[in-house]
Amino acid sequence: MTLRWLKPDFRKHSAAALVSRAPSMGMSTEDDMAIKPPSGYWRWSEPSHKGRNILIERRAVWVNSGLVLALVLAVIAYLCLGSLTLDPRDVISALLGQGDMMTMFMVQELRLPRLMAACLTGGAFALAGILMQTLARNRLATPGIIGIDNGATAFAVASVVGMSVSLAPSAMALTGAVTAAVLTFGLAAGSGTQGYRFIVAGIGVGAVFGAITQLLLARVPIDTANAAYPWTVGSLNARSGGSVQLLAIGLVLGFVAALALARSLTILRFSEATASGLGVNTKLRRIQILLLSVVLTALAVAVAGPVGMVGLIGPEIARSLSTTRHVPIVAATLAGALVMVLADLAGRTLLAPIELPVGIVTAIIGGPWLLWILMRPQRSHA
Amino acid sequence: MKVLARAQRVDQRTLLLCLLTALVAVSLVSLLIGAGNVSPSQVLSMLLGREDSEAYFVVWELRAPRTLIGIAVGMALGVSGALLQAVARNPLAEPGLLGVSAGAAFAVALALALGASAASLRISVAQLGALVGCLCVLGVAHWRGVGNDPIRLVLAGAAFSALLGALTSLMLLFDQRSADEVRFWVIGSLAGRRLEDLWAILPSMAFCTLLIVLIARPLSALALGERMATGLGHHPQLIRALVILCVALLVGAATAIAGPIIFVGLVVPFIARAFAGPDIRRTLWFCLPIGPLIILAADIISRVVVAPSELPLGVLTALCGAPVLIAAVRARRLPML
Repeated sequence: MTLRWLKPDFRKHSAAALVSRAPSMGMSTEDDMAIKPPSGYWRWSEPSHKGRNILIERRAVWVNSGLVLALVLAVIAYLCLGSLTLDPRDVISALLGQGDMMTMFMVQELRLPRLMAACLTGGAFALAGILMQTLARNRLATPGIIGIDNGATAFAVASVVGMSVSLAPSAMALTGAVTAAVLTFGLAAGSGTQGYRFIVAGIGVGAVFGAITQLLLARVPIDTANAAYPWTVGSLNARSGGSVQLLAIGLVLGFVAALALARSLTILRFSEATASGLGVNTKLRRIQILLLSVVLTALAVAVAGPVGMVGLIGPEIARSLSTTRHVPIVAATLAGALVMVLADLAGRTLLAPIELPVGIVTAIIGGPWLLWILMRPQRSHA
Repeated sequence: MKVLARAQRVDQRTLLLCLLTALVAVSLVSLLIGAGNVSPSQVLSMLLGREDSEAYFVVWELRAPRTLIGIAVGMALGVSGALLQAVARNPLAEPGLLGVSAGAAFAVALALALGASAASLRISVAQLGALVGCLCVLGVAHWRGVGNDPIRLVLAGAAFSALLGALTSLMLLFDQRSADEVRFWVIGSLAGRRLEDLWAILPSMAFCTLLIVLIARPLSALALGERMATGLGHHPQLIRALVILCVALLVGAATAIAGPIIFVGLVVPFIARAFAGPDIRRTLWFCLPIGPLIILAADIISRVVVAPSELPLGVLTALCGAPVLIAAVRARRLPML
């Protein structure tokens, strides 16, 4: 991260959509067209604004369309497979509102809502994960690992077992996530967000909240404890309609906000001094990114419980597919949704009639992955 | 200087004696107080010779085994924590955090799912699982040099524990019968354990005691560095292997009885080092009373707080232990061992 390699990269490092003025105002349009875009980019001139060009990274386009395609295939597989296997053509016609009653009911009432919940939670966890990783400049610093998931879970469980249904789990999860984030960042304040101390402090905070969850579950009668059990492992069974809608709104808003922050995110990967030198208000941006990440995590936890491993796996997939020029926000969100859909599909079908909670599936995939990241020789940045 | 050293030594002896007295007192309290409706005064008068069949049953059949098991588990966990920290040269190495307990728990769940049920079998299975878990984490740490960074080692252990925990839950989903058997065990608790369980782990604990007596001296030489230890006529590899065996036997035995209890192996040596200084032998001596003290105190609290029901012991130890972990991480310089 020295200036030496920063310099050649600086021209093109900032994001897929880099709006640039034409190099010289006096040139004719023909000359303008003759200027080649940097390698790996397409240039798209806006017809209405003369002299305004948008650079689109080719790789990002391919990666994102590939992920969308994979997600569509996974979605169709998700809707077809299950205790009753349906024909893909029937599924598509049922989605469009045609076909027989049974298929319509299966697809629209049973599988589609769960599918939506899987897509939304996966996307939200992965988006929160990549935001937090970039913020902490540490690829292990996902909300699941630094205890924010556990905080949200503890408070959500409190709302399920403690008070009746008066307080929505989403609101409580948000409170818990904020509490855990404040605790982790406050306790690690001395050592900075970089490095592993911060993460171990987060593990400690997570352990406390995990214990509180157990404590809450131990105090209530067994039926209530069973009702709250999915919360402790992470499952799409326990979702409530209201929190899914809240998550949908939150994810759309959060996604837009993340795209708006994309440029700052790219620059924040450099050192503090470099980032402020490039004109980023680092303090403000950090707080915005942290808030966004915490809110997304809390909303997703309120739906599915702690499935934090998706926040690690999604960004990892996205990063391995993309170039390092920018933070792959779109790809991470898509990859997270894809992972969640596939994991829940595997959990539903592999060991049928037993249904594996999605949290266990992702933990079994994500655990070795996490170990592998830890064992790899250290790289210079996230 | 010599006088000072001797004064310190004497001081430590009195301290040790105080801790032992405290342990006796806490054990007594553990007999007196409980979630049931037998009052402390009833127990006291029974102990002083009055006939009271109800109090007799509660104390000698329920609370006394529990107290004894608590003492054994506390000693095992405290000592194994100190040993593991010495051999990993890492103040954060803790059997629970490094996945040793998770390995034992996984092995027990596997054995139960495959149809085993005998208590003695459970203990050896747990010890085997603990050994495998310990070797996995330390091996991985040795390879690639992660072990040099205490905090990365803890992370690797946490990842490993999470993986094993997920696999354990997976197995419990398969088999409803073992799930019922394991559900309460997996949280970590001393409730409802019988005296036979204690007898079953005593042989391995005695074996470990013997082993520790033999290797304590070479182990403290190892603290000076591998070369120095070799120069002093010890075999570092052999010592390490024996220590790991010891840790696995102790943690496996404790886990088989009480379930995975994390953070005790971190907190106990942490306190013991504060009293005893860097010498591993003195630290081990101090671990002997401190471990049971903490386990019994936590157990008493767990009985009282939500009476008439009980809190799992693992919850309380996590609540007490996590702040110690954070404090240790926050310290500017980790005390290197």
